Amino acid sequence: MRQELTSFDGGTAIRQRRASPMAWLLAAPLFAWVVAFVVAPTLIMLVYSLCERGTLGGVVYHFTWENYAAVADPTYLNILVRSVVFSLVTTLACLVMGYPVAFYIGRAPEARRNLLLMLVMIPFWTSFLIRTYAWVTILKSEGLLNSVLLQVGMITQPFEMLYTPGAVILGLVYTFLPFMILPIYTSVEKLDNALIEAAFDLGAGPVRAFSKVIVPMTSPGITAGILLVFVPALGLYAVNDILGGGKVDMIGNIIENQFKGSARNWPFGAALGMTLVVAFAAALWYTGRRPRTA
Amino acid sequence: MKRVPLFVAIVLAAALASTGCTKKAEAPNEINLFAWSEYVPQGVIDGFTAETGIRVNYETYASNEEMLAKLVSGAQKYDLIQPSEYTIEALIKEQRLQLVDWAKVPNFKNIGQEFKNLPHDPRQLYSVPWMAGSVGIVVNTDKIKEPITGYNDVFQEKHSGRIVVLDDPREIVSWALATVGKGPNDVTPQTLEQVKPILARWLPLVKVYDSDSPKTALLNGDVDLGIVWSGEAALLYAENEKFQYVLPAEGAHQFLDSLAIPIDAPNPIGAMAFMNYILRPEVSRLISADFPYTNPNLEARKLLEEPELDNPASYPPGNPKLTGFSDIGDSAVAIDKLVTDLKAKG
Repeated sequence: MRQELTSFDGGTAIRQRRASPMAWLLAAPLFAWVVAFVVAPTLIMLVYSLCERGTLGGVVYHFTWENYAAVADPTYLNILVRSVVFSLVTTLACLVMGYPVAFYIGRAPEARRNLLLMLVMIPFWTSFLIRTYAWVTILKSEGLLNSVLLQVGMITQPFEMLYTPGAVILGLVYTFLPFMILPIYTSVEKLDNALIEAAFDLGAGPVRAFSKVIVPMTSPGITAGILLVFVPALGLYAVNDILGGGKVDMIGNIIENQFKGSARNWPFGAALGMTLVVAFAAALWYTGRRPRTA
Repeated sequence: MKRVPLFVAIVLAAALASTGCTKKAEAPNEINLFAWSEYVPQGVIDGFTAETGIRVNYETYASNEEMLAKLVSGAQKYDLIQPSEYTIEALIKEQRLQLVDWAKVPNFKNIGQEFKNLPHDPRQLYSVPWMAGSVGIVVNTDKIKEPITGYNDVFQEKHSGRIVVLDDPREIVSWALATVGKGPNDVTPQTLEQVKPILARWLPLVKVYDSDSPKTALLNGDVDLGIVWSGEAALLYAENEKFQYVLPAEGAHQFLDSLAIPIDAPNPIGAMAFMNYILRPEVSRLISADFPYTNPNLEARKLLEEPELDNPASYPPGNPKLTGFSDIGDSAVAIDKLVTDLKAKG
């Protein structure tokens, strides 16, 4: 980092100027934060993942690769793949539902825009767990939705919705939808109307104007939304426990069990965690290095 | 506008830092109690503080392993923990517990003989029984008309999707072991291989895995059968007598949660005062009122009312076959893998 800064010394562009001591001072809290809460925990996790299991939990500082060999077991790989699929479906559903909403909010008159944004944020005022349990009340056999459907005669038997994979996806989409809407909204809000008009003037129909102009211009928001939904959805296990009945383990459940379940296998849990971190980092790096073609 | 959250964050950080510093300097007129959630009535804690002036910091956990994780990390020193029998055994093995000075806990005499000197603490040096219970079958008799007497009656094709079980690999494996005549502690690669096909048949029939509140799925009508903690079953029975509790004929797990003092407890004297306090019949009776497990305190049982004693989930009639869990060490990893594997396939 320092190397780069000095090599640019003397440059004329603003971004190439040497950082002043004041700038370092202002950035210091951020660095401290990143070191304390990102770098240090990741290093601890890395060390743990190369240790042996302690009898009462914890680790014995004795080097081994065994935990990573265990991660490669088909059982855990299958669970990993399924978790990725669940997250992808969630991300896609959030995108399909969230984009039109974000677009509508972003193009609404200013006064209405704030009200609509507020509506998106309101669920955050209640604990995520309580909102998830509320879905139990709605979806259960003798629950709200089933009794309404029975009343209006759409079904004759209670429809089994709770404790199904569909309920898990529903819960995940419900939880993460705002994380898709908000970043896309900020992109849409900045969208230059003149460019869209220009597209129409040059003969583009609504579809082409959308795919050639609007989507590329809002792509930073879309990318941010996808990351903000996909990554946490992969790790979230509470929704799976509450709405899925814990029937199909997600990778998050497996990791949790290594620390809080009967196996007490911290090193293995750490190895699973490290595998996820590395996979994410690789995916981010790969998408980041692809040349942008417009 | 942007300045406000930063300011708030700084104030919060400062407040946190300052409490962190003052905590250590205080004289030990308090005890740190680390216990299961939904297990210690607030009234009992308030009563103890009112009488002794010792403040109780009550922190909770949801599994023995969660407790061990925090205990082993050493981030917080606890005066009292509340492990189950196999965890006590492991803690004693690792020399993590202090001897109880029985002269300071005279009320221990109220504990029934059958709860003393059990295999996990054979000479009764370290632990004071809190509550005992079992893991058994709950049947919604409105929906299930045929008699259910054991695990094999529960795990049948016709009950597919109508079953809730504890989300606990060790428990699940112990049920399968019981059906082939093995005890819950007979965990070897051979016995695990033997029960694997049984579990492969059973697990796809399960609708919900829940250790925290398995009664919810039964109450909501999402399932009709459950293999759950007896305390949960007792609450279901108290709610509606259609929920019958059956101890499996093949044998069942009897757990015993006890209070114990970690080796590095800052205030063991206060901890023993708390032990003695909760062993008083009238105090122990309060615990039973809120959490209807099997009270090992025989003097307290005399204060219970008829309906409480007649609840078959709290005080099972007859002479059921019950066994405690012992520490199985590394085999826990094999069990976890087996159940994870079968669940993923189911």
